[in-house]
Amino acid sequence: MGFLGKGLFQGMAVTARNFVGTYFDRGTREKLVTYQYPEEKPPLPENSRSFPFLVYDGTPDAMRCVACKICETECPPQCIYIVMDRDEKGKPQQRPKVFDIDISVCMQCQICVEVCPFEAIKMDNDYEKSQYGRFDDLIEHLPDLLKSNEYYNEIKPTEAKAVDAKLKAEAEKKAKKGTSKPAAAAPAKPAAPAPAPKPATAPAGKITIPEDAPFTAEQRAWLAGFLSAGGVATSGTGVSPVAVAETTGETPVPLPEATPAAEAPAGGWPWHDPGLGMSQRMDLVKAAPLADKLMAAMAQTDCHACGYDCRGYADAIAAGSETDLSLCLPGEAETAKKLEELMKEAGKL
Amino acid sequence: MDYAFWTISGITVLGALLAVTLRNLVHCVLSLILFFLGIAAHYFLLRADFIGAVQILIYIGAVAVLILFAIMLTRNVTGEAGPQEVVGVKWWIGSLCAALTAGLISFAVRADSVAETLSPGPKATVAVADIGKGFVGNWIVPFEAMAVLLTAALIGAVVIALEEVRNRR
Amino acid sequence: METIYQLIAGWFAGKPEWLPLAIAIAVPILFIVGVYPAIFAYTTLVERKALGRVQNRYGPNRVGRWGILQPLADGLKLLTKEDIVPRDADKFTHFLAPVIAVIPSVLLFAIVPIAPGLVPVNLNIGILFAFAISTASVLALFMGGWASRNKFSLLGAMRAVAQVVSYEVPMVLAAVAVVMAAGSLSTLDIVKAQTRGGLEIAGWFVFQPWGFVGFVLFAIGAMAESARTPFDIPEAESEIIAGYHTEYSGFKFALFQLGEYLAAIAMAGITVTMFLGGYLGPGIHIPYIGGFIAAFWFFLKLGCMILLNIWIRGTWPRVRVDQLMGFAWKVLLPMSILNIAVVGLWHFMGNKVLAWGVTAAILGLAFVILAKISAAGNIEKRTYRYAN
Ligand code: SF4
Ligand code: SF4
Repeated sequence: MGFLGKGLFQGMAVTARNFVGTYFDRGTREKLVTYQYPEEKPPLPENSRSFPFLVYDGTPDAMRCVACKICETECPPQCIYIVMDRDEKGKPQQRPKVFDIDISVCMQCQICVEVCPFEAIKMDNDYEKSQYGRFDDLIEHLPDLLKSNEYYNEIKPTEAKAVDAKLKAEAEKKAKKGTSKPAAAAPAKPAAPAPAPKPATAPAGKITIPEDAPFTAEQRAWLAGFLSAGGVATSGTGVSPVAVAETTGETPVPLPEATPAAEAPAGGWPWHDPGLGMSQRMDLVKAAPLADKLMAAMAQTDCHACGYDCRGYADAIAAGSETDLSLCLPGEAETAKKLEELMKEAGKL
Repeated sequence: MDYAFWTISGITVLGALLAVTLRNLVHCVLSLILFFLGIAAHYFLLRADFIGAVQILIYIGAVAVLILFAIMLTRNVTGEAGPQEVVGVKWWIGSLCAALTAGLISFAVRADSVAETLSPGPKATVAVADIGKGFVGNWIVPFEAMAVLLTAALIGAVVIALEEVRNRR
Repeated sequence: METIYQLIAGWFAGKPEWLPLAIAIAVPILFIVGVYPAIFAYTTLVERKALGRVQNRYGPNRVGRWGILQPLADGLKLLTKEDIVPRDADKFTHFLAPVIAVIPSVLLFAIVPIAPGLVPVNLNIGILFAFAISTASVLALFMGGWASRNKFSLLGAMRAVAQVVSYEVPMVLAAVAVVMAAGSLSTLDIVKAQTRGGLEIAGWFVFQPWGFVGFVLFAIGAMAESARTPFDIPEAESEIIAGYHTEYSGFKFALFQLGEYLAAIAMAGITVTMFLGGYLGPGIHIPYIGGFIAAFWFFLKLGCMILLNIWIRGTWPRVRVDQLMGFAWKVLLPMSILNIAVVGLWHFMGNKVLAWGVTAAILGLAFVILAKISAAGNIEKRTYRYAN
């Protein structure tokens, strides 16, 4: 039966039901939906994200980040600031000394996570970031950013499991293959333009780790053990990393022992120092062969963004097996331009 | 009683003077309301509670609000522009009318017959029931005449409003 | 005042003559300015909590246990806030408006009886006084809105004035029915007229057909007069910011709120007095404690009315301006005029049972017809000028 104002009374019945219902809710949150925030927190969905953090394995010293600065380059609002760590002699260590993220600028886009080749930076879901200061307090420094892999597993179990599995698989493959030293160090027939599988090249004899190779003590110890176990041999199939990348669709395994330091002459490569300016590096490399020049023109962070390490990429270009000159992400346009210039000079372009 | 009378009278006269001298029209109406309030207070002083309350209800609650409405629909509320002339021919005519009315009323009040019927003793409250009985008894003719007049005014207002609606269509 | 005066004069017999008079004047004033603002303060808390529960959330619960100190915190906050007066405002009027907003609301309590013989001032024109005073509150709204020199304030003021003037008519006419039945304008007499056959409940006017209609009409009018939801269009936040008190801050704003809530509480008190039997209830004639029981009944009913107000506020949507005016003039006004005629019928019919049935039938029929008419007007097909 309808009468004027019926809806008003139906409405009042609804509100009355809600009013009374809130007193008998008993935590089901059907009628009383509020979370009383500081005391109660709603569980966060696994895919929620706030700001990036850096993952370490075991101890904070064993951080995965190698200070390759790809994320710094790629971050759209440019809120990451990285300074590579150096030892007393000024040799670059593969770890950041300074890693700052300005969370007042970060727009939580997750691009840094997408581009990092080392699974080193991930999105956190801790949203309680308020601070008393408006400026310095809103910059997160390395100690604030470092969080353990266990923590990562805790907040994003699915994603972290996948990452762990991937890293493990890569480490195993690496162990099977022995060294991942690029096989392209010795150029094959210069005329061959296609990146066809190349014959295996002989290893450069016994490999010692140079004093100035950019390893931490820990990495060095592990590497020494690894090398003496007899793993240093040509890659089993004699396939170049490019081919590996092509067939498996994966970037070559980016682990510290991948540094081509083993091939460095006794004096080291004076230009192998991303801290120097481009012109300085060019001065140092003036008399060196083309491959060295090319390498010096790169950012030399060994980030593997190009699919090689820096040595491998330079050699591949020099050998003509790699024609794309714009793969060095950390070097940006400057490197690409310089590479082109050098290739023109050498009459190869 | 005397103090109350003089205080209220002072406020009433002040309100009336401000109502005709202030430049800002809204201020004028607000002063007019002060004046109405003074009149109502006078009624209360005379123990004519009912008349006092009706004075507030009708004059402040309705008449003054209507005037305010009308003023809000006009321009130049602040009175800063336009002719500034106050003392002119109209002023003199108005003063003459006011003086005549005041004389008439004071004459009427002083005349014995009216004073006897109109002024109650200072302590006698005018009962509401008596007023009601007066309306439908002794004074039925003026009361009904007033009612007819007001109804006519009401209907006239409706007619004018309808005319306007029709014109707009 | 007589009754309190007589009581006190009895206690202070032999003392100087002015003493009982002074006490008889001071006690009701202190009561009004002490008790009702306290009720106001906790009404705001109860309102916020109840609205919260209606909307499936907790209300304020941080200041003190159950938010019990919330009104205090609100008051402190408003007191310490900066008092901003717009540069172009009409300073004096702007200052005066909140003051005037409170005065009529406080005066309204003067005629609300809380126990037999216990009314601050026993005016013989009680109800009329209440209406006269409550219309004055519209002045404050107008002054505040006009003096702010803000278009939203002015719009709010215009709306407030139009609304109050319109809803006063049916409200007063609804009260006329009660006055006719009780035969007096005095609130004490109206309450006394609601006892029937020695029973304190059966005689309440709300239980008579015309009384029920009057109660509904009066409650709607009271809601509109005090600009509460669903009639809060003078301060509709979503349309005109805060209406006439847009430009008020700090304690002036608090005064506006105080005036508004006090008016709503006073109107609830007057509704209780006129239709819900005021302080009447079982046990009010017990010697010594009867008066307290009566006061208890009164405040219980007052609380229920306030809660009803809050419940309605939590449920009903705000009416549109045209609906507001149409409802007042096309539904409420005819109903209230008919109600007056029906009360006359009731008065002259001897058999009250028969009268009950007849008046109920008349009013019911009138409601159905009015509903049909207004519904017919409402469901006319909507046409769009540009969209088609
Ligand atoms: S991209 Fe990854 S490894 Fe490179 S600097 Fe950023 S976080 Fe470190
Ligand atoms: S989430 Fe986006 S904005 Fe934030 S640091 Fe990473 S890349 Fe920069």
